[in-house]
This record gives sequence, C-alpha cells and structure tokens, in this order.
Amino acid sequence: MGLILWLAPLAFVFASRVLSSRNKLHRISMAVSGLLLLSSGMITRSVIQDGALSYPAFGGLFYIDAVSVIVLDIVALIGFLVSVYSVGYLEQEFKEGKITPKKIKLYYTLMYSFMFAMILALTVSNMGILWIAIEATTLASTFLVGFYGDKHAVEAAWKYVIICSVGIAIALMGIIFLHLSSVNVIEIGNALNWKALLDHAQDLNTPILRLAFIFIVIGFGTKAGLAPMHTWLPDAHSQAPSPISALLSGVLLNSAMYAIVRTLSIVNKNLGDGIFAGRVMIGFGLLSVLTAAVFILTQKDYKRLLAYSSIEHMGIIAIALGIFTPLSVFAGLFHMINHSMTKSMLFMASGNILQKYGTREISKIKGLFSRLPLTGTAFLLGLFAISGTPPFSVFASEFSVLASIFKAGSLWLGGSLIGLLALVFAGISVTLLKIFSPQGKGLVQEDPGLESINKEIKGEINKPGVAVLIFLLVLITLMGFYMPEGLSALIVNAQRIITGG
Amino acid sequence: MEKYLDVLSALILFSSFVLVANKRIISYIRTFQLQACLIALTAGIMGVDSFLAEGKYDILVVCLIIIILKVYYIPRLLHKTYASVEYKVEKDFFLNIPILIFFCCFLVLFAYFAVPTIGRAAEGNVNIQVINSFSLVLIGFFFMISRKKAIGQIVGFLVIENGIFITAMFSTHGMPFIVDVGVFIDLITAVLIMGIMVTRINDQFETIDINQLKNLRG
Repeated sequence: MGLILWLAPLAFVFASRVLSSRNKLHRISMAVSGLLLLSSGMITRSVIQDGALSYPAFGGLFYIDAVSVIVLDIVALIGFLVSVYSVGYLEQEFKEGKITPKKIKLYYTLMYSFMFAMILALTVSNMGILWIAIEATTLASTFLVGFYGDKHAVEAAWKYVIICSVGIAIALMGIIFLHLSSVNVIEIGNALNWKALLDHAQDLNTPILRLAFIFIVIGFGTKAGLAPMHTWLPDAHSQAPSPISALLSGVLLNSAMYAIVRTLSIVNKNLGDGIFAGRVMIGFGLLSVLTAAVFILTQKDYKRLLAYSSIEHMGIIAIALGIFTPLSVFAGLFHMINHSMTKSMLFMASGNILQKYGTREISKIKGLFSRLPLTGTAFLLGLFAISGTPPFSVFASEFSVLASIFKAGSLWLGGSLIGLLALVFAGISVTLLKIFSPQGKGLVQEDPGLESINKEIKGEINKPGVAVLIFLLVLITLMGFYMPEGLSALIVNAQRIITGG
Repeated sequence: MEKYLDVLSALILFSSFVLVANKRIISYIRTFQLQACLIALTAGIMGVDSFLAEGKYDILVVCLIIIILKVYYIPRLLHKTYASVEYKVEKDFFLNIPILIFFCCFLVLFAYFAVPTIGRAAEGNVNIQVINSFSLVLIGFFFMISRKKAIGQIVGFLVIENGIFITAMFSTHGMPFIVDVGVFIDLITAVLIMGIMVTRINDQFETIDINQLKNLRG
C-alpha cells in the first residue's frame, strides 16, 4: 500500500512526458492524486489502529508513524484539491493564450515531481534522505515558481533556488553534526536513522547535538519560511501560479517544519528539558510573527499579503513546538492542519480573482461580491478564518496555542503574541477588506483601463475550482466546532511520539 | 596518512583564497576545478585507506563520482553557461581584493577559535582538518555575498557544498553511501537548474548582474 505513494506520482511524472492530449493529462492527474489520497487515507487508518507502518525492504527505509501521517494527509488532500483546481485554472490560462500546451505538460511533470519529493520526505526514516527529498522539492518547484517566465517570475525563481539551496545546505551541515554526535553510539547500518537517534538520544554527544540543532533549524527554517530567512517566500508565493502557491504554502512549509520537529524531539530528549531548543524556536517564531505583522500592514499585493500570513502562521507553529508541553505540541500540530486548509483555500480563491481581474494589486479590485459571488464569499470568510476569528478552525487552534503558552507560565510571550495577532488582524482588515466594497465608488470609474475589464461577464470562470473552495470552506468551518475522534487520536499519538511521553 | 590529509586540507583552504582573489569568471571556474581535484585526491586517499583497512570501497566510488561530476562535468557546464550569456564587463566584486582576502583571514581565524570549543567534548576527529574545511564553508558564503554576477553565486554555492562535503569526510569519514549519492544527484540537478536560470535572467534583464533583480520588494 505504502509503495503506491512513491510509485504513483513517479509513474505520472514519466507518463506526462509522453502524453500529448491536454484532456488526458488533466484526467490522469486527478486520478493519480485521487489514488494518493485514497492510499494515504488507508495508511492513516492502519496507523491509528496498529501504530507505525514500516516495510523490511530497503533496510527499513520506508517508515510512517503518526507524526508523518498528519503531514502526509495534508499533502494528499491538498494535492488532490489542487489537481482538481488546476484543470480549470490551466484551461483558462490556455484560453487566454498565456500558456502553450507544452507548458501544461511541463506543469504536470514538475507538479508531480514536487509531490513525489514531498511524499518521499515524509515517508523515510533516514535524516539524510529526508534532506535530499527536501532539497529536491526546491529543485522541482523552481520552474513552477518561474512558470510565466516574465521578469518578476524569473527574479522570484532565482531568489527561491539560491536562498533555499544555500539554506538547505546549512541544514546538511547540521545533519553532518547530527551524524558526528552519534558516532560510536549507533551502528553504521542505522546511521542517521531518526528512530535510532531518538532511542539512543541520551547517549548522543550534547555539545555537538546542540550545534546540529541550530544548523538544522536555520536550514530547514529557511524552507519553512521562518524570519529572517523568509525573504524568498513572498516573492515565490506571489509569482507562482495560484495552485502552486497553494501547494507551496499549504504543504511545502509543513514538510520543512516536519524535519525540524524530528530533530527537536531528539534534542529535547538528550538535554532532558526543552529550554535550549525552546529558546531557539520561540525566538525565530516570534520574529516571524513580528515581521509578518509589520509587512501585512503595508501590503499592496494580495498574494504577497497571503504569503506574509503564511510566515506568521509558521511562526505560531514554531512557538507552539518551542513551548514543548503536550498541550502546545498538540495545538501546534492542529494549527498546522488548519493553516494548510485555510491558506490553500485562500490562494486558490486568489487565483480566481487574479484570472478575473488580471491584477495582483489590491487597490485595483472593487466589487468582488457582485463579480465573483462564490469566490468572494469564500475569500472573505477565509480571510476572517486566517486572521483567527471564531468560529473557524484556525481560531480554535490559535486559542489552544495561546492557552498552552499561558499554562506554561510565559505571560510575556503570550501577551506579546496576542498583541501581534491583533496587529495582523488589523492589517488584514485595513488592507484587504476594501476589495469587497461595492463597485462604482472611488477610483474605479475614473480609470478607463479598468472600465473595459469591468464589462466582462459576471460569474465564476473555474467551476470545479469553486467546488474545491466550497469544500474547504465547509471543512474549516466544521473543524472549528467539532474534531473527529480519529483525528484527535492521531494528533495525540503524534504528540506522544514527539514529546516522548 | 593524517599528515597527507592535513596538507591537503590546507591546500583546499588555500584554493578558496585563490578563488576569492580571482577577478574573471573564467578563472574562478578553473580554480573551482582545481579545488575539486584536491577534494577528489583527499577522498581517494581516504578511500584507499579504508579499502586496505576494512575492505570497503564506498569512499572510492564517491571519489570516482567527484572526478566525473565536479572535476569534469560541472566546470564544463559552467563554461557553457558562461559562453551563452553575453556580457563583457569582467569586474565582479563590491570590495577590492586585498580587503576580501583580509576578511577571509578573519573567517579562518574565527573558525580556528570557534570549532575547537565544540570539539573539546567530542569523540570524533575535530582537528585542524575540520577547522580548515569549516573555514571553506564560511569563505563560500562570503564569496557568494561578495560577487554580483549570477555565475559567481553558483560557484559560491558549489564551494559551500565542497566545504560541507569535506567536513563530513574529515569528521565522520563521509555520510552513509546512499546519502552521499543522493546529495550528488541533488547537486547536479541544482547546478543544471541554476544554469538554465542564468540564461533566463540574461534573456529577461539583458545582464546577469543580480543587483538588477530588484523588482520584488516589501
């Protein structure tokens, strides 16, 4: 069952080079991602029932436990929804003459290489292979970021590939130190296996392990979008095609965070407490939230704004993991799920808006409700959700993160986090809510260029895309009220693995 | 054997100084090639040693991959990329060379004092070789920020990677074999992609000066 996760996307990567018909590509892509979703669902069930899943092949390289299953499910679900959304998105771009059929082919090849790399990162037990897979995600998505090939896209892609490759090289240094700290403790065959590292955590060499942790947090933190290594993120997220932005933000950042989580539990077990690692994580996390809050206030481009909001949420997750109490780790993982769902919905909605209005500038968009009623609704509710308004799920998890901070006794941290979250909320309301104001007021009428766009027919362009948006909207609303038994059991399992208790 | 490795690690470090002092893109591709030769030699010596002592040939295979990849293929690729971008102005650094060299000396000094503090409690080999290779990583970072042209950045990235690889060799006798191979696959893909990106930047901006890439801000 597990091998389908590896083979299906790989097979499609090769098949997409041979297939020439657009329709076939679309259909097979949906089928493959549906298959991925199905098999990850079945793996989830077996993990909930019987614990970790592993195969003897490749020396036990394939390994899935509750922690990886959570992120894996996010990858599979968002991957499936994005592949449905992509059909309408790509067809519209093709109709407008922005892309050629050859580019659609390239899009699918790269998108599934990207998916494969992420799945690989989540299903291996070896930190070295994990690193290789995460570096491969950068390489696979570089041309997706630079997909449109114009000046801005090329610039974003160049920054993305350079900053992320160098950042991740630092993580490799960290992994070498991790290896060094385990010399003479772990036999050669199990070198860099994080399960063996976790089992023997007490015997590892502490000073080297600390150094390794700092390198790994900086390296993978670059990929996870933690400030001050976040500079590639707003560029890449805003220039990539919207479905890819949804994947980058909803999935890629989590995969990088997953690598940090694995190291974090080893380091904390070795040191016996969470103070050292907590300081590092909370420092980066708080700085990320602060940076995001400041930049959101002054944003003129709605996709960039969403990208900064991703930095903010990654910061919150880092803080929650840094506190390292059972409640905070639970809340952090739950927040990871909620952020992915909400943010990918917002990015896909922003794709619909971009295709309708043809601009990324907030000030040029007016009357979203009358032109795109369903997307507009989803976008508005999504914005409320992402800024932490009840009754949506992000509120529930942000609330538990804050509760866990106060329970751990860090009043200053909790207080300043609340202040920053309020600032983010204010920033989003001030900058983005304008686009919902009715048409015909303000600047819009005076601008002749916009007038011609306004004559276009009302209504949604990407029908299956809207269905995806509504599905996600229902999901994040429901999860604000009710958490299914299986999900909470899974997160509790994961939390036990991470905190070791 | 340790003596040979000490000398080689010092030579590798010296080659990075030469690299920082290079003015022309052509010459830093050549210096990179020289550095790759030295690294292949180091891996070769360690490989023969581990083959004779334990009968393992992992490191020899790694040495062979380095020769094919870093000594032959990547420099060729960089020369090709360089030939395809039209740009004539050769000056490519913010500060002048003596100051750059001075900074590099400072970085080596930093490594000299910083690395032993973590190594004091270590059981692995943290010694002059690791200090040299760690300095190489730092100089790689410094090289990247001191060059303005896109190809300079790629070379800087490759130097960082060399430094990390050689640190792994000196401190732990290399990573597990499968990880090493995976890292090489990633490296070659990264260089290919960066090469293509350089041509695209040249098409769009009509220069490969990355200081011109300033459209996306805030």
